[in-house]
Amino acid sequence: MRYSELTRRYFAAAADTAGRLEGAGVARGAAGSRAEGTWVQFDVRIDRAAADGPRVAAARFLAFGCPHTIAAAAWVAEQAVGRVPEPALPQSAQALRRLFEMPVEKLGRLLIVEDAWLAAVRGDGAKSEH
Amino acid sequence: MSAPAYLDCAATTPVDPRVAAEMAACLTADGVFGNPSSGGHVYGARAREAVEAARVRAAAAVGACAEDLLFTSGATEADNLAVFGVARHARARGRHIVTARTEHKAVLDPCRELERRGWQVTYLQPGRDGIVEAAQVEAALRADTVLVSIMHVNNEIGVIQDIGAIAEVCARHGGARLHVDAAQSTGKCGVDFAACGADLMSLSAHKTYGPKGVGALLLARRRGLQIEPLQFGGGQERGLRSGTVATHQVVGMAAALSIAAAEQSADSRRARELQQRLWEGLAAQGGVVRNGSEACGVAQILNVSFQDVEGESLLASVAAEIAVSTGSACASATDEASYVLRALGRDARLAESSLRFGLGRFTTALDIERAIAAVAAALARLRRIGGVCDTAS
Repeated sequence: MRYSELTRRYFAAAADTAGRLEGAGVARGAAGSRAEGTWVQFDVRIDRAAADGPRVAAARFLAFGCPHTIAAAAWVAEQAVGRVPEPALPQSAQALRRLFEMPVEKLGRLLIVEDAWLAAVRGDGAKSEH
Repeated sequence: MSAPAYLDCAATTPVDPRVAAEMAACLTADGVFGNPSSGGHVYGARAREAVEAARVRAAAAVGACAEDLLFTSGATEADNLAVFGVARHARARGRHIVTARTEHKAVLDPCRELERRGWQVTYLQPGRDGIVEAAQVEAALRADTVLVSIMHVNNEIGVIQDIGAIAEVCARHGGARLHVDAAQSTGKCGVDFAACGADLMSLSAHKTYGPKGVGALLLARRRGLQIEPLQFGGGQERGLRSGTVATHQVVGMAAALSIAAAEQSADSRRARELQQRLWEGLAAQGGVVRNGSEACGVAQILNVSFQDVEGESLLASVAAEIAVSTGSACASATDEASYVLRALGRDARLAESSLRFGLGRFTTALDIERAIAAVAAALARLRRIGGVCDTAS
């Protein structure tokens, strides 16, 4: 499997942004299943006292999956910081697939990343395995 | 950055410089470049002599007679010729074949094609250690069984089957010919075609420091074995494998097999020490499962599954340091987890998170330490990313 430069960069640095957030104001959401080969969890801390409205103050992820999945989850966690906590990825799953040059058959893994992000932002903690 | 340590010798090996030197002598105008089928001049005659000398030398390296050996393009062609060749020749007598679920695709796919054409195939389930018992073969034999095909050394897990015991079962049956895929055997364990009792045996050159593109099928003609050819047009190889014999390739194969036979004991002793060190280093990481029989396996193959990591990510994480094979679907040519590991009872996750380490003649202790360090670092990192090691930040 050949990986794009962006995929290699975020996959290599993923451990830097992987982890959990603890404490008050942290929302957690997860999607997928290790047994099925892909599982992603996001922890999001939202600053609701920001002058210009609620913002993502911090985001962390955990992921079990292929390099594309891990790279995309790391990218989402990085890009989300400072943004309005919307129940949508900074870019659509299709756009992310093109950005990371993922094979089309891996789109389903990006949808798991998206579902985990939505679950975290909505604070419903969906399908968490932990 | 230095090149990754090559630990994929079960996939292929570099050509031994001694082999390359013999091959080079057959290629240019001052060498043995003639067509071995051209009997009317000295160039062809010399090539013919080189081919026949290679046949004698290659056969001797595996305990066979020269007249038993057909050169092919590789073990895949040899397997196809064995399975289809026997099945077609014996079709009036029976249309049942026995093989194992852990065979190479070069045997399984021809068997499936024969099923589509009306043959029946029994696929034996090996034990969790990968061993196919002779009693299983015996129980599967039927009056209409014409072929049993069991590989000697499994290419993924390195398990050595007891071919002698299986050959005895087939001999008692009387009608079932035994084909053995020995592509992984030469140089890794002793190969003696005459003594093992097999009727047919497939060989490869490139697994044993020979060139790609050449192999052989051994046929026990003295036991009256007959097969039908798959390709026609020239009648080379006694009419069973038409096509100009590639002199440099067969000379290379003969040299490689000869060296392998002479150095197998020393190579295997050294590989066993390296394999033991590798296994100890990997096992120390925890969550590690060894695939295949430790007691009945070759020293040059170690197959390990790693818990709590995904296979493609594991391979990508170690790729800069070591070149290995994996059971991960995304990293292999086919879209499935290792069917061999699945047949041993491994679940899909463990089958996909496996690495096959193929040790060889040129593997060093430094390569092994590099592999252990690379895998240890990858496991720690991927397990942390996966939340297996609690790392609240």
